Amino acid sequence: MSLLGIAWRSIRQRLFTSGLTALSLALGVALVVATLVIGGLVRDAFASGQGLGYNLIVGAKGSPLQLVLNSVYLVSKPIENISWRFYQEFLPAGARPDDAAGRYAGSVAKAVPICMGDYYRSFRVVGTNAAYFDSLTLGEGRPFTFASGRNFRDAEFFGGVLGSAVAAKLGLAVGDEFSPTHGADDGLVHDPFTVTGVLARTDTPVDRGVYVNMEGFYLQEGHAKPVPEGEAAEQTGPEAGGALEISPPKGNESPQATREISQATKASAPADPPQQAPLPFAQREVTAILVETASPGGMPPELLAMGLKTAINEGRDGQAAEPVREIRTLLDLFVRPLELLLLLVTTLVVIVSAIGILVSMVGSSLERSRDVAVMRALGARRSHVLTAVLLEAIILAVGGGLAGWLLGHGIVAAIGPLITTNAGVSAGFFSSAPLGEALLVPFLVVLAILSALLPALAAYRTDVAKWL
Amino acid sequence: MPEPVIRLENVRKSFAMPGGERAEILDVPGFVLAAGEQAALEGSSGSGKSTLLHVISGIMRPDSGRVEVAGTDITQLPESRRDRLRADTLGLVFQQFNLLPGFTALENVLVAMSFGSQPPDRARATALLEAVGLAHRLHHKPAELSIGQQQRVAVARALANRPRAVLADEPTASVDAAHQQQVVDLLKNTCTEHGVALLVVTHDPEVARQFPRRLKLEEFNRACRQKV
Repeated sequence: MSLLGIAWRSIRQRLFTSGLTALSLALGVALVVATLVIGGLVRDAFASGQGLGYNLIVGAKGSPLQLVLNSVYLVSKPIENISWRFYQEFLPAGARPDDAAGRYAGSVAKAVPICMGDYYRSFRVVGTNAAYFDSLTLGEGRPFTFASGRNFRDAEFFGGVLGSAVAAKLGLAVGDEFSPTHGADDGLVHDPFTVTGVLARTDTPVDRGVYVNMEGFYLQEGHAKPVPEGEAAEQTGPEAGGALEISPPKGNESPQATREISQATKASAPADPPQQAPLPFAQREVTAILVETASPGGMPPELLAMGLKTAINEGRDGQAAEPVREIRTLLDLFVRPLELLLLLVTTLVVIVSAIGILVSMVGSSLERSRDVAVMRALGARRSHVLTAVLLEAIILAVGGGLAGWLLGHGIVAAIGPLITTNAGVSAGFFSSAPLGEALLVPFLVVLAILSALLPALAAYRTDVAKWL
Repeated sequence: MPEPVIRLENVRKSFAMPGGERAEILDVPGFVLAAGEQAALEGSSGSGKSTLLHVISGIMRPDSGRVEVAGTDITQLPESRRDRLRADTLGLVFQQFNLLPGFTALENVLVAMSFGSQPPDRARATALLEAVGLAHRLHHKPAELSIGQQQRVAVARALANRPRAVLADEPTASVDAAHQQQVVDLLKNTCTEHGVALLVVTHDPEVARQFPRRLKLEEFNRACRQKV
């Protein structure tokens, strides 16, 4: 019979105590594993928002972090809106009604507006234009892809695109209609939008968004900025198609899209003429602008971003924030310290559990002394009994650790859907924190050996004659 | 004359007392147990019976003298080699049987085998238990066995590593009178069958009387005479 077999039988002999010890260790390990994995998922969730194909976010003056959290991660509340006039400063000549390039247009490669404030069954509704999915990328140039359907066209005022998590959670598919609510889930119910496409999973916050054509968004009750009547009338004009001639917002690829909107709107006008007229510019605002800075002559976009950010922040119209910088700050200031604190607490739990091994083994040392003396009388060397006791602790630690590892992953799997819905990253039983988990096993074994050292030495020194 | 399995020469052993003085327990000028011989060592409580067995088995080192087991002076060996020699050449039977409670009858024999030079032999362990009438109790733990059955497991375990001698310390002390004879017969017959020398220490003259060689510890342990 091997020493491992002897150690295993010793555990079975004290099954209840051993079981409790292993259980307490398993609970500690489960907490550590769950903390490591969920911490990693949270980091992934934030990291996923750093590469969405734009490097600046322009919004109202206020907290840059709040601007990023709201615009990129679809959490927190919007600060305020910025004016349509300010938004147009980012557009090239062709995309503006006055055919003059905006003040910042030279530094901008892409500028996609977003409007927020509506919800659809707890998911954030983002009003934007087709450029969001047509020209922005998932970082590293990866385009958005659709699991089904397609992007809405700028001319489809009531078209909408769903993130994968939204479609999965709500069971919506292409062709289905949904009606956002104003300001909250129980707010005023808006007109229905039709799903034109469902995005393939991106493992980014985009998965949790409901994206609608901002032209339709603007037409909903409460979305038009109140302006003096004369001013509004001036813009829409008395001429019948006046409003249709005004370019709707569409980033920097306007002329073709403008024509498309005009034609589509005109084509659908007989069926629904009053609702299809776009909201006059004077009544429009945007919540934020997602900006990818230009890289003239191969210059890194970050260089222009610095200057553009400074120029915007020195002005009074709004602020610019770099999502990567803000998220790094958030991670460094809050997420990592919190994660470290949690890890420290859970590690202490494991250490306390390991002390449980010590207590358990010291508690049974009286009983063990007699067995050790008998084995020594039968010819066991001191090294045999020392090893057998250490192996007993290692079996408890590894057994408890394995059970805890399974339990920890079970916890992650159990709350996985919640994490996926709220953080936009997939979380399941096999989500892991490879480095932390790989270190956990040797950590447990070392801890077990340290805990068992005292009883093992006691066994080593057992006075055989005294116990026989 | 058969070669001696155990030979003691001028063995002395004393222990420190709480007051600081030393109490001499053993002072044995000479003792020999020949191969295959069966002997009873009779002594009253405190006469040094258990100490003598511990010295012979190498569990204790004497203060002086020579203790030969199978031709090797174990007083000159380091502890680990004494342990190995004990596992290979001596079988021990204890007063309380001292079976390991978490192990089955078969495992108790296998554990003893695992400390010897030869790898554990499950077939031999089974055969030993069958030979003492425990074929149907191989997988029972000590708590599930009667006193008599436990004693048989202890005897089988003592023979696990094909020892040269079995040392039994008061093997009848914890059994009732009805079972005493069974225990003595079991030890004598089993050791005879396996050609193993047997040294039984006992305080009971009735038990000692059943052995062809009967020694009174008080007669050859000079430390006892001094106390008297």
